[in-house]
Amino acid sequence: MATLQPAILPQAEPTKPILTHPLTSLMRYERFQVGAHLLIAFVALSVGILMGPFQTFRRSPFMNAWALENLGTAMPMPIFSYYYQALTAHGVLNALVFTTFFIMGMSYFVVQRSLQRPMKSGLAVWASFWIMVVGMALAGGAIIGNQSNVLYTFYAPMLAHWAFYLGLALVIVGSWVGAFNVFWTYADWKRDNPGQKAPLATYAIVCNFVMWFSASLGVAIEVLTMLLPLSLGWVDTTDPQVARIFFWFFGHPLVYFWLIPAYVSWYTMLPKQLGVKLFSDSFARIAFLMIAILSIPIGVHHLFTDPGVSELAKLYHSALTFVVAVPSLLTAFNIAATIERAGRKRGATNILDWMWKQPYGDPVVAAQYMGMFLFIFGGISGLMNASYNMNVALHNTTWVTGHFHTTLGGAVFLTYISVTFWILPKITGRKLFMPRVALAHVYLWFFGMIIFAGSMGRAGIAGATRRTDLGGVGAYISEAVGYWMNWSAVAGVILLISSICLYVVLVGTALFSKREENDSIIPVDGVPSQTEYAPPVLENWRLWVTVVVISNLIMWGPVMLNAISLTQGFWVSGQPGAAR
Amino acid sequence: MAQVHVPEQQLHIDPYERRWLIMIVVMLGVFFASLIAGALIYGVVPAGEGGFINPQRLDETMFASPGLRDMGNNHYDLVLLAQMWNWNGNPNYEVRLPVGAEVEFYVTSRDVTHGMLIEGHNINFEVIPGHIARAHLTFTKAGEYRLLCHEYCGRLHQAMHATIIVEAAPSAEGTS
Repeated sequence: MATLQPAILPQAEPTKPILTHPLTSLMRYERFQVGAHLLIAFVALSVGILMGPFQTFRRSPFMNAWALENLGTAMPMPIFSYYYQALTAHGVLNALVFTTFFIMGMSYFVVQRSLQRPMKSGLAVWASFWIMVVGMALAGGAIIGNQSNVLYTFYAPMLAHWAFYLGLALVIVGSWVGAFNVFWTYADWKRDNPGQKAPLATYAIVCNFVMWFSASLGVAIEVLTMLLPLSLGWVDTTDPQVARIFFWFFGHPLVYFWLIPAYVSWYTMLPKQLGVKLFSDSFARIAFLMIAILSIPIGVHHLFTDPGVSELAKLYHSALTFVVAVPSLLTAFNIAATIERAGRKRGATNILDWMWKQPYGDPVVAAQYMGMFLFIFGGISGLMNASYNMNVALHNTTWVTGHFHTTLGGAVFLTYISVTFWILPKITGRKLFMPRVALAHVYLWFFGMIIFAGSMGRAGIAGATRRTDLGGVGAYISEAVGYWMNWSAVAGVILLISSICLYVVLVGTALFSKREENDSIIPVDGVPSQTEYAPPVLENWRLWVTVVVISNLIMWGPVMLNAISLTQGFWVSGQPGAAR
Repeated sequence: MAQVHVPEQQLHIDPYERRWLIMIVVMLGVFFASLIAGALIYGVVPAGEGGFINPQRLDETMFASPGLRDMGNNHYDLVLLAQMWNWNGNPNYEVRLPVGAEVEFYVTSRDVTHGMLIEGHNINFEVIPGHIARAHLTFTKAGEYRLLCHEYCGRLHQAMHATIIVEAAPSAEGTS
């Protein structure tokens, strides 16, 4: 396009930002911050991840028959004494502790790097960290003590030990300290760099914490005003439907809280790892903003089968859930176009060959690609879950388990592992231990998870209920379900081997690998050049926070009021959990 | 006049991206239309509100004597009380129905949150204390179907199931 706009003067060249962080190595405080968060994350994961395969073994009729013959009992759980305790640990440690610690560590790192300035308060980073550690210890202790077998959704009125709720509340409060530290750092940077757009990576992290803070208010209210007083015996009744509504106000944004850091890696790190430019910076920003705004007011799609929520609310939340698929579909285009560029750079010429002209042998890149493949299934099955009436066939069946093992257990997990594979060597100053084993982990995980998700999905359609000890006393397994459960145990074997590979690499890289300062460039977006235009309105947070507040009042207000009025103020007696 | 490079001051949309955007909108529109069609044509909708019930005074309600009620003309009411860990107080609860039976479900919980689904049928809800879950279902095929609790409800959650036997011959008896 000809540029005949004489009235506009050429903009001044943005001053080159001074690099305060070295390009190929980490600052000391970065090593400690990221290292500490990663350490806790992977210690928690080591226990959580081990439970998974043994659950598949226990649910499989074939494995259970073998155990009965050779061990004289149904397939036992390692570490924990029974299935639902192990299941609670699997959910809490993997989905709440591992993710939250990883995300906090990664967020600090990304914000400091891309803004080229340290966090506003270094002290707050550690305050947040220790609050979360204490919280994790309390919740973990309550689970190990067999006092909190309530699973990670802890639906009322089943009760856990108060330490479990207090622990979870502390993890959330700790993450708030981190969130406000991030906001403050970002605000300072905006003040020092008026008129400049924030780096994409920081923009995404800010979106993530805006969403996280708003959403976690729901679960904080649930825990602090309903469950904690109930478990301490201060009140004797509660309203289970209202508690579920508070929980799912938080529950759906939670999955995006896990996903956005993975998207940060795909949008800002992957292009650097591939040596190309991201296809569209502005559409990436639009995608992140859409997730931040739209992920909360759609949560009723988790409550489609609840008797205390109106059909109308279910329908309009279903409609809006489809809209939150848009940012993920935008991401699919943007990332695929970026990957195509990488393939072309590597010599691809025709319509499809860019797909295989890719560095599939590099564990850092391969982990992200395999995560993306799994996410295709995750996205499609997610749209199905959210479909108003299709949900009737899928709700609370093992289909759902299959679904979120391709999203959280697939895309998110593998992308976090990808980040770990490059950042851990930078932290420890050692080479990545046994890169071939790292690669084996990635591909075994991919194939294991495909088989697992597929068989769990099929079993769910055949009527297998999720979170059910199918190897336990009195369990019912139909022939079709048994067949698919045996397949899921096959996947369990593959995933167990894959997990062992992962920990060989992690422990090796931390302690045993050859010391070497590698000179690969840290793939974090710096302060961007201002050549690509992004509408400044995208960073108008006053506007977007208002939108979040109003949209949730509209979408959740009637649901909550309706549930409260339905029970006419009557609060149901709190019943003790099974293990108490 | 010398050409000066002026940064573009509007959102850049690639032509392919524009087409993709249109595809997204069309695709999601079709999805949404199909689920509306499913609701209107086939009547598949999630369970709606069934109303409030005092879980401490179930003895004064229809849940005092739960079970199958023949309403005549092949219509039935099935009143189900979920509790740890059985249906209607019987660990081997069984319901016999003729093919074509139209059943209205009334389900609530005495203690914690339970769930309910029937293998191979479009019925699925959370059973929450204080609320009655209601749904209508027609059994069109003979066979034996399990009615399962699908929300984790404690140590013996997996043992909480009942059986629905749909018989080809038209005879009905709600028994245990």
